Order: sequence, then structure tokens, then C-alpha cells
Amino acid sequence: MESMDIDPENHLQRKQSLYNSMDEKFEIQKEMYRGQQYSQIYFARLHMMRTLLYSLVPNWKPHLPVCTVLGLEEGKECIIVGTLYKQMKLKPSILDEYSKERSATPLVKPHNFMHPDDHLVLEDESGRVKLGGTMITPSVFVTGVVVALHGKETSAGYFLVQDVLDAGLPPQTELPLISGEDKYVVFVSGLSIGSSTCNPLQFQLLVDHITGHLGDEEEQGIAAKIVHVVIAGNSVEIPHGLLNGQNLASKDQSRLSEPIKELDILLTQVAAGLPLDIMPGPNDPANFALPQQPLNRCLFPGSSAYNTFRSCSNPHSFELDNISFLGTSGQNIDDLEKYSEAKDKLAFMERTLRWRHLAPTAPNTLGCYPFTDRDPFLIESCPHVYFAGNQEKYETRLLKGSEGQLVRLICIPKFCETGVAVVVSSCIFSACSKFLGLRTVLVNLKMKTPPTELQNRDLAHVYMHAHLCVYVYMCVCPYSS
Amino acid sequence: MASSGSVKGFFRQRKNITKPKPKSSSSSSKKSPHHPATFGADVAQPAALISHGSPDLKDGYDEHEDVLRQFDMNMAYGPCLGMSRLARWERAHSLGLDPPKDVEGLLRSGKVRLDCLWDGRV
Repeated sequence: MESMDIDPENHLQRKQSLYNSMDEKFEIQKEMYRGQQYSQIYFARLHMMRTLLYSLVPNWKPHLPVCTVLGLEEGKECIIVGTLYKQMKLKPSILDEYSKERSATPLVKPHNFMHPDDHLVLEDESGRVKLGGTMITPSVFVTGVVVALHGKETSAGYFLVQDVLDAGLPPQTELPLISGEDKYVVFVSGLSIGSSTCNPLQFQLLVDHITGHLGDEEEQGIAAKIVHVVIAGNSVEIPHGLLNGQNLASKDQSRLSEPIKELDILLTQVAAGLPLDIMPGPNDPANFALPQQPLNRCLFPGSSAYNTFRSCSNPHSFELDNISFLGTSGQNIDDLEKYSEAKDKLAFMERTLRWRHLAPTAPNTLGCYPFTDRDPFLIESCPHVYFAGNQEKYETRLLKGSEGQLVRLICIPKFCETGVAVVVSSCIFSACSKFLGLRTVLVNLKMKTPPTELQNRDLAHVYMHAHLCVYVYMCVCPYSS
Repeated sequence: MASSGSVKGFFRQRKNITKPKPKSSSSSSKKSPHHPATFGADVAQPAALISHGSPDLKDGYDEHEDVLRQFDMNMAYGPCLGMSRLARWERAHSLGLDPPKDVEGLLRSGKVRLDCLWDGRV
């Protein structure tokens, strides 16, 4: 029989990293609501972006005059800067709620509201002008984006667009040199604990892997390199039938809090081992409007006892060892999908970075707090890793900016549906060379016959544990060697 | 174009009621109540507001208020409704719009209305 004593020399230590939270701008405790409307946040957004675009215009088209919408003259070529508004025929209107009967199911089924007749309008404080021409396609843009346009006003009264300038990727701080040791950050979202389709054993399996209770020494060595866990929203699913305004019976009250209690038990296991960030999502017991405030610590009596447990806002911005991360629980990307179209979700994420705004559709179609003096969703500095939670599938791409910025875009899939968590490695520069792309790391394939589709992808771990599967993908952040 | 200067040409001038002071009792027939929220309200024959022995006809409107109203109406500093004037001045200042310093002085002196022109009316 093998001795069960712990051998001190072989004792695996978990790696650690320096964490720095940058969520102050998403807090709304200090804000006071004085009856303001959304015109204030639109003004702040337009002003900040316009100042920025005015500084970029001389490098773009220096010979053209810049004017405001009211200063347009017919036939004169110029540049105008303003907020885009997309007039959409199929966009649901609040008035529908009054014309139709109230029912428990939402009136608007989420799908895409685009129509070939959609057109764009550019607005600034002085006025608005309809945009025409083929150079600007309404299907790409959404209401709330600030752009600079080169064109001229036609006799028909609309502005014929000849060229479009968006702000482009923001400046990025240089990626720090890592000494060579790999550190991993685990992203997971859409746990949906409490939903009827969620398999609790899947998340338990992931927790066991992260905390090092699974596998042999090599596996545990990999788990020891995990320094941080981020849960990007939709961790619980409260049974909807209970939330219809009726008084709850006592047995229903316990059903309401069951999912949170279950989540707390699981998170306690994680928080006992390593730092954990939990972000609220659209289905979580947090406020509806962005920026969603951190989930109350009272909901997590077990986990919040640990100082490794951090309840964070949505959107969430933080730094780990000077690598900057920025991301949301997916509402911004899902809303873009309803009102515009792109090749894939990563294309939407790329657009938000190029427009330098996390959620351009807020407050138009995405709930938002009416800030008066600032717009906290403006992206001032480019993150190294940009993530969006609760997406349908795992996708990733490396995005290159015109000034040498490099961003790893990640779509985190819904865990309850896919069983996939995303592990991001921090190892980048090796002293001798740097390449761009994904590193395919095949570590420990424990399946007898891996499915062919997985072989072609960047698969790292596949575990088979009593016919439950957790697929963990590895993507290198942001470079590979 | 925007209004870098005064916006007087844009909006119809409000009658300066300080100039011709109606003296007789006919003036007491249509007094504007002090609270701006009831300005223009259909209150038949409200009682004259006597303050310090004379009818209060100014309704809080003097040259200081005029300067502040010009500040409220200036589009360069953004919408005025929903914010206190001082908060709007500070926002304009932090955004680098260079709002006039005398407006700040007036607002901090405390003798003027701190809410914008339309507050409570819209």
C-alpha cells in the first residue's frame, strides 16, 4: 500500500499573480439620480469621441474642412462628426406593450430586427442629416456609434457619404515580458445553476480540475498554474414561474434561493483555492441596467468569507501581472447581433473595439444608467484580452491594430449547454522569438477515439470521467511560440 | 456654426418686466406666482405676492439670472435639463469646454437659482 503522507518536495504550489481591479468607473453608488434623461450620456459620449475624431481627421483627410451638421452646404465636400442613429422599421416599440395584451411571455422574441429599408442618420447638437450612398452600409452600424464622415450634401437633402472614419483601436500599453512561466486564467460563463437543463456534475468536474483534485501529477501541475478564475455572468437561473408578482408560499421561497445556495457551495470550493471573480449577467439577481453592479456578498455567505472571492461589476476590467483584461457577460454583443449583422460574434467584438465603445446600443436598446458627466463604456486603453460571456460557442481571434496593438478576442460559451470553459495562458514572449497565432497544446488526451472535429481545433484537455465530458480549450494570450 | 456668442437672436426675448412697473391696482390682477412650476398655470386671479411691502414682480429674474439662462441655453455645454447648473458647469470644465468663470462665481455665491431654467417646468 502506498503511503498517503504528503511529500514536501513534491508538494505542488499554485502560482500567484498580481491582481489590479479597474472597475471604479462602473460603480454607480456615488451617482445621484436627479431626473435626468439619456441626452446627458449621449452628449458626454459625443463630446469625448468628437474630440478624439477631430484629432484623427488631419491624418485622414487633411485638406477637407470640418463642419457641423447645420453648417452643411449643398455640394460642398466636408467632414462631419456625429452620433449615428439607425432608423429601423422592425425595431420593437414600447407602444406595442399598450396595444397588445399582457402575458407572461415577453412580447418581443429576440431575433434580428434588420430590414432592407433601414437607413442611417447622423446627429450632433445642431441637427441631423440622413445618410445615403453605398459607402456606408446600415447593416454594419448601430445607433450610438460616433463616426466621422466625408461626403457632401446633395440637392435631395441627404448627405452622400464617400468615406467613413471610426476611431480605431485605442492605444495599448506594452505587454510586459513574462519570465517564462506559464500562468493560466480560467473563464467560464452561463453556469445556469438551477436550470432544468444544467448538469451539476459538469461544473463540479471543472471545480475539481481547477482545485487540483483531479488527475495525476501532470494534470495537477497544469491545475497549479491556474492563477485566476472569472465567471462571466448567468451563474444562476431562478425559476421564472415564481417571479410573476404573486405572494410566494414558503416552499416556493426556498425554491427561489436554492440555486444561489448551490452556487455558493461550489464557489466556496473554488475560492478556498484561488482568486475568483464573479460577474453578474442578464439572468442573475443584480440590477438590469448596465453597468450591472456586483452581486451582493450576502448571497454568498460561504465564499465571501474568503478574501479570494471578488464580486465584480459587469463590464469587468482588471489587470493580472500587468496584462489587461476587459469583458462583459455578453449583453453588449447579443444586442449588437439583434440590430446589425456580422460574420461572427468576434466581428461584433472587433467593431466595439474599433468604435472604442463597449456597448454602443446602450441606452437605445440596452438598459443603461443615465450618467450625466461621463460615459463609462468608452474604451480608453486597449485591453490585451477582450472577452464576452454567454455566447453560443467558443471562438477566438487575435486582432491587430494599426499601431501595433494586439488583442486576443474570446467568446466564452455557455457552460450549461456546451460544457466548455476557456483557459487563457499568459505565456507570450519567449526571449528569442515571437509568433502570432494560436498554440495548439495537446496535453493528456484521455479519450480513446477523439472526435475528428476536435482534432482540428486547438484542443488541450479532454477528460472522460464517468461518461461526462468537460472540454477545456487553451488559447494563448496573445501570442504563441 | 453653433452659438459661440449669445443666443439672444435665436430665442424670442423674454419681456423684461422690471422696466415698466405698473403701479396701480390693475397690476395685482395677474401676478405670476413665485414658484416657476406654476408659471403659466391657469390659476385665476392668484393673490399678489407681497414681499417686503411691495409686489414681487421679478419672479427671481434679474441680470444674474439672465447670465445663467444664457449659460443654460448654450448648446456647446450640452443639455441643461436634469442637472444642476453647477454640475453642468463642472462637467463642461472637466470636458475641457472652458465655460465662463463668472458663471461659476455666481453659482457658488449661492444667491441664484441652482437649478436650470426648465427644471420643474418640463
